[in-house]
Amino acid sequence: MRLKVIASDFKVNIKAWSRSKGTLFWTLAFPVMLILIFGAIFSGVGEVEYELDVQDLDDSEMSHEFIKILEETGVIKVINVSVNEDIMSYIEENNIKRLLVIPEKYGEVIISSFGTNATVDLLFYFDQSEQSSNQVIRSVISNVIQSMNMELSHGRDIIKIEDIPTITEDFDFIDFFIPGMIGFTIMQTCIYGSIERNTKYRKYGILRKLLTTPITRAEWIFSKMLFMMFLSFLSSVIIILVGILVWGITITVDPLMITLMIITISATSFLFSGMGMLIGRFVKEEETADTAGGAISFPMMFLAGTFFPLDQMPEFLQEFARILPLYYVNEGLRNAMIYANQSEALLNSFIVIIFASIFFLAGVLLTKWNED
Amino acid sequence: MIEKNVRCPKCHEIVSFSGEPGERITVTCPKCGAQGKVTFEKLTTDKDFAIEVSHLKKVYGNLIAVNDISFSIKKGDVFAFLGPNGAGKTTTVEMIESIRIPTAGMIKILSKDIRTNFDDVKNDIGVLPQEFHSFERLTVKETLVYFSNLYKKQANVDEIIEAMDLKGNQNQLYTNLSGGLKQRVGVAIALVNDPEIIFLDEPTTGLDPKARREVWNVIAGLKKKGKTIFLTTHYMEEAEYLADHIAIIHKGKIIAEGSLDELLNRYGKGKILYIKRLKTKNVKELLQQKGFEVTSEENGDIAVRITYKEHVIEVLSALRHDCIDYGSIDIKRSNLEEVFLHLTGSKLGEVAS
Ligand SMILES: Nc1ncnc2c1ncn2[C@@H]1O[C@H](COP(=O)(O)OP(=O)(O)OP(=O)(O)O)[C@@H](O)[C@H]1O
Ligand SMILES: [Mg+2]
Repeated sequence: MRLKVIASDFKVNIKAWSRSKGTLFWTLAFPVMLILIFGAIFSGVGEVEYELDVQDLDDSEMSHEFIKILEETGVIKVINVSVNEDIMSYIEENNIKRLLVIPEKYGEVIISSFGTNATVDLLFYFDQSEQSSNQVIRSVISNVIQSMNMELSHGRDIIKIEDIPTITEDFDFIDFFIPGMIGFTIMQTCIYGSIERNTKYRKYGILRKLLTTPITRAEWIFSKMLFMMFLSFLSSVIIILVGILVWGITITVDPLMITLMIITISATSFLFSGMGMLIGRFVKEEETADTAGGAISFPMMFLAGTFFPLDQMPEFLQEFARILPLYYVNEGLRNAMIYANQSEALLNSFIVIIFASIFFLAGVLLTKWNED
Repeated sequence: MIEKNVRCPKCHEIVSFSGEPGERITVTCPKCGAQGKVTFEKLTTDKDFAIEVSHLKKVYGNLIAVNDISFSIKKGDVFAFLGPNGAGKTTTVEMIESIRIPTAGMIKILSKDIRTNFDDVKNDIGVLPQEFHSFERLTVKETLVYFSNLYKKQANVDEIIEAMDLKGNQNQLYTNLSGGLKQRVGVAIALVNDPEIIFLDEPTTGLDPKARREVWNVIAGLKKKGKTIFLTTHYMEEAEYLADHIAIIHKGKIIAEGSLDELLNRYGKGKILYIKRLKTKNVKELLQQKGFEVTSEENGDIAVRITYKEHVIEVLSALRHDCIDYGSIDIKRSNLEEVFLHLTGSKLGEVAS
């Protein structure tokens, strides 16, 4: 492989791509447009005062005092949860986004804190998909705790906060939608790009011409994959930026999760480029191949839980979704980007890598440049 | 010692002479005693050939697309591969370019067997595939730079642009060019590695006459620079205008091969001199007495077969000698269309449709 050839080919791809209004639209403007439209349709009215469910197991003067201070901040509206409620099922049943538990010994610990090392943990349950508002509330709570600690002991952390993430099925639509949009956009870009190269370039004689020049197929494929990954990451970044700036989604900032995201995005580029090669291999006419690409990618987009969760679909369709590669792309990206669910993110990105290897290898092995 | 058959310019008898390769000798016609000169061609060696093809064959299912053909192309020649649609031109040329794999046969480019040396050969050839269409959204110059970057040995792109007369269009996107310009860019792309051999598969098909002329001029210019050109076409005028050597291919077989003159002499009616509006009668008899072949005589117009260019002067001086006046003269020669018709019983254009 000659780097110079690859670099020159890569450069030319970007040049040609940036001149095509059609491709620019589909790779950049279209996903942004969808996010804006769908986000506007599904997003609720923004919260002004945040509700916080509080279960006060201590029910002492000290705990009442604490709740009063929270309410006085003016940001939090406290909802009292009965002492008899089981917290986890309460959260699940009522779709609670955040909940604070004041433990039984709270008052006692504070009173006896002078001269001992005793501490008390407040339990903060929060839904990960609601990060932006939860961050606001959490910082309000910890500010309150900090000032109480200052007053009680000049800074020793008597009252502490323990974070307990919860996952309810009720994520914000936009959180669900953004990773799906990324998967969908990469799929479209790679399938159609690959189809174009394997049908139009064949018809135009470009592939035959290349056979008579010293460029190797490995160099060509390598530079094309670089280019496809460039587009995939560009679209992903733009989609995420719009998600953050316009809809205030929060993505997981964690080295492992970001690595998994990058791996999944790269593998997805290979996966759908391979799929496009296969389509172009068996359907030789460009227009027909484009139609075939649409016939494969559009149903997959709907069935693989890109725009709405699988459990809103009939059982048999949910089963069907589990054989679709895009499903694992979506799940992988969601778990890495939004839910920060390590094991799910790992599992799904692994499955995407397997799909990618199969499709890409099949694509490379079954397509050729020369005629029979 | 080699042998050569020539037609006596005077009595039209075909006579055989022998001599050494490269020699030019004075000979006398054994029948009529006319004197003339005969040149014996130099023997060509392997080294003089750009391309050698032997017993090449390509089978698609039941169809024999290329049927056991052999030919050689001399360095510096324009070789025209002339044949109707579906004759097997592209199949042949793409086997030589290693794009298709032959069913049987042997191909050498610059004495190298392409089965084992094609990576080497790539640097010596430039290819314009049939109906080639380059990247739509690159400019002419970017396109040439792109293709030239694929090679180690690179010609100067600006010089190519200059030579192909593309200077005014170099910053235009390929997709916005006219058909003729696209083909000229296609030829230019074939030159980016300064190749010795250039393959042009139907470079003028679909072009209007003016654009076709422009492409012809480009090809003639390449020939002047000493390039070997393998040109496929189904336009006989193109082969007539450009080619040093012509092979006519029909249904996968080469049915005739040689220089234009050789083909016309062998299969055509030769050149005919038309003398119009003769002021005297019985000219036909007079000319026949002097040994000329009169092919027709009608209303004072007369047609005489011409085999060598001196013939024209001989006929005209015979007329002047006898003070015979005439209105005008015209020379028509037979063409490849006639040759094709003679060989296949059909017209080139008719087979195509
Ligand atoms: N890949 C293929 N599979 C089957 N048959 C083929 C294939 N390629 C060419 N043929 C057949 O082989 C014959 C020769 O085709 P070829 O393209 O070489 O002709 P050609 O002389 O270049 O014609 P044209 O002037 O139309 O370009 C035709 O009958 C064609 O249908
Ligand atoms: Mg052809």
